[in-house]
Amino acid sequence: MIQKKVCMVGVFGTGKTSLVQQFVHTRFSEKYHSTVGVKIDRKVVELKGGEVTIVLWDLAGRDKDEDIGASYVRGAHGVIYVADGTRKETCEQVADLQRVATAAAGAVPAVIALNKCDLVADWALSSADEAALAARGTLFRTSAKSGEGVEAMFLAMATALIASPEGA
Amino acid sequence: MSGTPPVPRDDPSPTPRDEPGATGAAGAPASSDELRRLRALLLGDTRTRVDGIETRLEAMELTPEALAERLPEAIALRARQDRQLGVALAPTVESAISESVRRRPGEFADAIFPVLGPAIRKAIAETMAELVGSINRAMEHSFSVRGLQWRMESWRSGVPYAQVVLRHALVYRVEQVFLVHAETGLLLAKASPPDLAVPDADLVSGMLTAIRDFVGDSFAQDAAAGGLRTFSVGELTVMVEPGPHALLAAVVRGQPAESFRRKTQETIESVHAQFSNALTEFDGDSRPFEPVQPLLQDCLVTVLDTDARPGASVNWRPLAIGAGLVLAAVIALSALSAWRWRRVIAALDATAGLTVVSSDRGWRSGSIRGLRDPDAASPGATIAAAGGDTLHITQRWDPYLSLAPDVVIARARRALGEAAGVRYALRGDTLVASGHAALDWVSAVRARASLPNGVGATDLSAVGLDVPAELDPLVREISEARVLFDVGSAVPGAAGSASPSALARRLSELQARVRDLGGDVELGLTGRSDGSGTDAANAALSQQRADAVRALLAPRAGGATIVTRALGATQPLETADPAARARENRSVSFAVRLLLHPSVR
Ligand SMILES: Nc1nc2c(ncn2[C@@H]2O[C@H](COP(=O)(O)OP(=O)(O)O)[C@@H](O)[C@H]2O)c(=O)[nH]1
Ligand SMILES: [Mg+2]
Repeated sequence: MIQKKVCMVGVFGTGKTSLVQQFVHTRFSEKYHSTVGVKIDRKVVELKGGEVTIVLWDLAGRDKDEDIGASYVRGAHGVIYVADGTRKETCEQVADLQRVATAAAGAVPAVIALNKCDLVADWALSSADEAALAARGTLFRTSAKSGEGVEAMFLAMATALIASPEGA
Repeated sequence: MSGTPPVPRDDPSPTPRDEPGATGAAGAPASSDELRRLRALLLGDTRTRVDGIETRLEAMELTPEALAERLPEAIALRARQDRQLGVALAPTVESAISESVRRRPGEFADAIFPVLGPAIRKAIAETMAELVGSINRAMEHSFSVRGLQWRMESWRSGVPYAQVVLRHALVYRVEQVFLVHAETGLLLAKASPPDLAVPDADLVSGMLTAIRDFVGDSFAQDAAAGGLRTFSVGELTVMVEPGPHALLAAVVRGQPAESFRRKTQETIESVHAQFSNALTEFDGDSRPFEPVQPLLQDCLVTVLDTDARPGASVNWRPLAIGAGLVLAAVIALSALSAWRWRRVIAALDATAGLTVVSSDRGWRSGSIRGLRDPDAASPGATIAAAGGDTLHITQRWDPYLSLAPDVVIARARRALGEAAGVRYALRGDTLVASGHAALDWVSAVRARASLPNGVGATDLSAVGLDVPAELDPLVREISEARVLFDVGSAVPGAAGSASPSALARRLSELQARVRDLGGDVELGLTGRSDGSGTDAANAALSQQRADAVRALLAPRAGGATIVTRALGATQPLETADPAARARENRSVSFAVRLLLHPSVR
């Protein structure tokens, strides 16, 4: 059995828990459940190269941007950064989060989920902002609510995990 | 590994040490460096010595080829002689092994794992046997109050006794063991007893690591200090044994002993010793950790407090066992005695015509009071058959009349007299007889004024009537007679024929005597013809013959009934002399049947 540890990293309220819920259980809830500490879920993904079990660490989004608990990210095989398109500042914070996570986990595959794309009309994001984000990793527009882009984003992560001979 | 040093003899180059190997070019400077040093260390010296030996051998005219030829034989020869060869080689072999272990413990562990695995499994089997043994001890020797309470509980609740013991005497039981990769929190391997499944072990594994990280972060604890070692969830205690690359987590029900902590330590050490490479190279693939199973299984222990406690138990245990055995024997004996007594009473009660009114059982003797029909089976025989001791049982039976069918029949048999061929049954209060009996016995029964108690009526219609012995010669004489006819004639009196008038006399005598016994004679005449002629003609002729004989007998039959039948040539009489056959069949033959006279019917 191949297992990979993947951490969801992002400011609180960006939709980390919702994305995991959507991917693993195909459900969405409008209610906001503040995640305490960390919640772990897993999903077996079928790829051309074989099966891989993704163990998802959904970290608590705390108030302070960079306070993501380095020890949780340690040993991660991949990191998914989540930003909220309706909140510009969450996109800018990705840079700080990535710095902290890379220090703990090394240069592992990274995917960026620009979430809440169902609300794209309310987005306050210039194309330059989005391009800046895309420079930090493979960018996916996702919606944990409609499910759009969620599967694609996680599959891209899984593929990267199988492809990369670990960079740590 | 691929970096094995080349064997000197196969190497054409005299200086193999500086050969530009593929490893060097592949950009792994550290390992190629090591290899070079290793070669210099191992081979540099050997090479020169080998060269020296070669020259010496050549001088002795013993080429390496010749030596190679003889070496195996030489070794075998010497090994047979004495142990010198082994002694001489031992230090070299030992140091080679220890060097190999030092350099590549993982590989070495892998290599000897096949040997280790079975040994470990054997140990597990022994542990299991131990557990079964301790449960059995609890089952066998628990005459203690506690043991009896458990037995009661098991009996009341229907839960097997072993399970009740487990519930109460359980000190601790290791229900799950996880081997978790320290850095990623991914599950490497898990074990649990066959009856306990572990759902979502990989999630548990991740959470476990997260919790440890959380505690470590929150209390600023250094991982080197061990971090979180134990925590409890309800009745479960999770014991964590950290190692450099992996941690062992054991989920324990109850209070684990300190010895179990040592066991987990040893286990995590063994895991690191045996899987050091796999652990450092782990990248999510848990397959290399499948061989770790036996080590984890070994941690799945169950400890009961019925196990022998040293010291205290030594003195009282044999006494308790002895007393227990005596008590058990007494209980068993008295249970046996009570059971036997109940069986005796039940057997008596089940016997028709016996009714136990009261019974009393003492330690060795007993007394029984009851009612007995005179025609019932003997109580003594019944008691003895049921295993009772008639010598020690006082009996008192008062007579009574039983209407139980068996007794009524026994009474009837006694009252009516034995008739060997008759069977009785009781239908309502009618005594139904079947079989056969002599005419005089049957008519005597018919003529009785009173019937036995319990019998309201008799039905003898199914009883066949036998000829009383004194009438036998007369009956035989009549039955064997033949009245013969000439060909085509219905006039009796052919040569050799019985005389109808003599027959008539015999018949009237028989009828008179049978009548005296309450019966009547029914004489059957069978007319026959020989085989010539048509069937219709034969049938008519044989009927005419029978009628002719009846006409002669009837007036002088003394009241006997005469019936006829005509067989033609269909069922010929068999004769000893075939020549006589046709003659004998132109005949009328006789059969005697006894009937009850209507007055006694
Ligand atoms: N409309 C919309 N709402 C979302 C989406 N993802 C998350 N939310 C909502 O955003 C809030 C925070 O989500 P949550 O997953 O708990 O964020 P977390 O703190 O990053 O785990 C919740 O009320 C969600 O219902 C999305 O894709 N679209
Ligand atoms: Mg959350």
